[in-house]
Amino acid sequence: MAMTEPTTPQPGIKRFIKIDWNVGALKAASPRYWSWVGMLVIMTTLGVLAWVVVLTTGGNAMAQRDNFTWGMWFADYMFYVGLAAGGLVVYASVHLFGAEQFRPLSRLAVLMAGLLTMIALLGDLTDLVRVWRIFWFVVTPNISAIFVYTGSAAGFYMVLCFVDLWILVTGVGGEKLAFRMTLIALPVAIYLHTTTAFVLALNKSRELWNSAVMVPIFLTSAVASGVALLLICAYVLQHYHVLEFKKSMFRSLATLLATVIITDLFLLVVEIATVYWPTAAKAGHTLRFSEFMTGPYAVQFLPVLILGVIAFSLLAGRKTRHIPAIQITASALYVLAIFFKRYTLMSMGFAIGPLGQTQAPYIPSLVEALIAIGLLSMGMLFFTLAVKILPLRVPEEEHAEAGAWELAEATGEPVVEPGVAL
Amino acid sequence: MSQDFPRDERPEGATAPEGTTFSRRHFLTSVGIAAGVVAAGVVPAALMAQSANAQDATATSSEPPVAPGASADPLAEIIAADGPANYPGHPVHYAKPAGKEKWAMVIDVRACVGCRKCVYACVEENNIGRNSGFTYIQVLEMEPGKIDLESAVLDYDEAGRPDKWYFPVQCMHCAHPPCVYGCPVQATWKEPDGIVLIDYNKCIGCRNCMITCPYGARHFNWVRPEVPAAEINPKVPLGEKAWTAEKCTFCVQRTRNGQTTACVEACPTGARKFGDLNDPNSDVAILLKTRRVWRLKEEYSTEPMIWYVG
Ligand code: SF4
Ligand code: SF4
Repeated sequence: MAMTEPTTPQPGIKRFIKIDWNVGALKAASPRYWSWVGMLVIMTTLGVLAWVVVLTTGGNAMAQRDNFTWGMWFADYMFYVGLAAGGLVVYASVHLFGAEQFRPLSRLAVLMAGLLTMIALLGDLTDLVRVWRIFWFVVTPNISAIFVYTGSAAGFYMVLCFVDLWILVTGVGGEKLAFRMTLIALPVAIYLHTTTAFVLALNKSRELWNSAVMVPIFLTSAVASGVALLLICAYVLQHYHVLEFKKSMFRSLATLLATVIITDLFLLVVEIATVYWPTAAKAGHTLRFSEFMTGPYAVQFLPVLILGVIAFSLLAGRKTRHIPAIQITASALYVLAIFFKRYTLMSMGFAIGPLGQTQAPYIPSLVEALIAIGLLSMGMLFFTLAVKILPLRVPEEEHAEAGAWELAEATGEPVVEPGVAL
Repeated sequence: MSQDFPRDERPEGATAPEGTTFSRRHFLTSVGIAAGVVAAGVVPAALMAQSANAQDATATSSEPPVAPGASADPLAEIIAADGPANYPGHPVHYAKPAGKEKWAMVIDVRACVGCRKCVYACVEENNIGRNSGFTYIQVLEMEPGKIDLESAVLDYDEAGRPDKWYFPVQCMHCAHPPCVYGCPVQATWKEPDGIVLIDYNKCIGCRNCMITCPYGARHFNWVRPEVPAAEINPKVPLGEKAWTAEKCTFCVQRTRNGQTTACVEACPTGARKFGDLNDPNSDVAILLKTRRVWRLKEEYSTEPMIWYVG
């Protein structure tokens, strides 16, 4: 189904790989825009330099040690992979469940998912001190190592997101192809989140990770933080007149967010109950968990609960849920809560080591922090440029077309697996 | 989950979660003590012995029967489980090819006085960077009355305290090694004689193996390891270990050349025994068959090849 070809190209629009790149918008951009871009470029450069330090001097420049085997990068990997779920949810809602109110978000959501997965993967690479040997990953992958699955899933998902974005932006294949892509992207996304959770859950050596609830909790945290981030970005882009959204869309997002947050918190409480209930409590578990409830790690873990409860309370009231300030605050709190959660999850593997020795909390070194900030800046830089030059606005007529196609196809399509309860 | 991968065949029933009774049961069947005693555990024991026999008819057929009616080799099942895993078909570049042995160690915690002589001997033998900040062997000072790692002290000052006991821990060369299962690029594997080794030229430095080892046995060279020139052991890699994981190798450079390990040699109380389980007259085989032995974290089904007695 051919999309509307631009008959009279506007000045400043360059056509390349079938996309109309709005290069003119960059030329017209305000000095504020450019100073923001400049700052991101500087931060990214600092990150690259920090990585060069790691590559030339070895891992000693990082604060990770034998006792804290993984650090910042791993917390970030879980965090970003989770945030990418926002894209999945919106995309799937539009193209599988016909949630038309989210359609204006679809391109933005896919773009964010792609970028977030990209920085998650790059974070992983920057941690490998012998990164140039990474080809072994392809030559002799070990089928029993979970990292092979999550790593390749992330790579595949990233590519998929960018292909998807291209399809959405160019309109190649129309709604039909977009729908088919969803059928691929959705299972891949779930696979990515599951395998990432499996890195923790399938490891018997780290008591607090080795829990089956890790997988559903990973999915709920991912969806909650992803939707929250999307909501924030949508408001930001609306503020800068890049995109416009209906109020009802934000309300739908907020309701979805509240539902997922409470599910997420519920699962966490279930896990805590299993650790502490007298008939279930095992010394190794309770001792380790207590480090996070009352010990030196409580500053990492209690914010997860506190911020989570506040975020939910803000969104729980029907009367206030539609207020933008409330939505934004709750979303920001929950994104922050999930960051703390990822950081604690990382720490939970190491707070008390396999030989029972208690470790002081890990704080990333300057080099690690710069790498992390550099990667985030890089993601934001690409995002900032993309929202200017990519046609992220979903044309009105696409709604009508899509509706018509859905009606025609609805009866013929098989029932989609109810994998994600949205 | 990781123990379910098919590289090394595990006899049916070997996953029985009964923990330390596992080795005792073997001891019972093997030595062929009074039938009445055996009867207590006869059903599971018989099942296990049976499966072990079935699996290992070839591997251990040369062993003479220990007692009439008992399985041919009481250690057969243990030996069979201790096969190669992710083995690329050739030995790691710094070692001779594996022989027919199945290496194992038994440590008598009653004899260990916590002097750390083994730790230092190991550091010298294995070119462990003096700046690396780790040792292969970690000796824990334990509270009496329990095997409670969480209350153990690693950096104790005074050895030989009568109110404590000492617990040396190092790579167990697990028959089902989670570290090997966890390495994404197969840079570490288990050789046919049971020694778990790392290819330092292949390791990508991801530290997955350290995450998955339940014994804290693996260490990372965060720095380029440095050893004074006069103390370098030419038989052991040094520079190539920079920024890779390393751990106890059962002194592969010695043990595959007819010597024993450096730690066994250094122990002043003779608390450590090392040898070949295929050899019925080796210290380790005799100890496993005649003494009550136990293993650390047996419930993890890693099947360590280091036993404790005492
Ligand atoms: S003790 Fe640890 S490093 Fe050694 S074989 Fe077992 S899992 Fe691997
Ligand atoms: S650190 Fe080296 S040996 Fe360990 S899992 Fe990674 S690549 Fe394998």
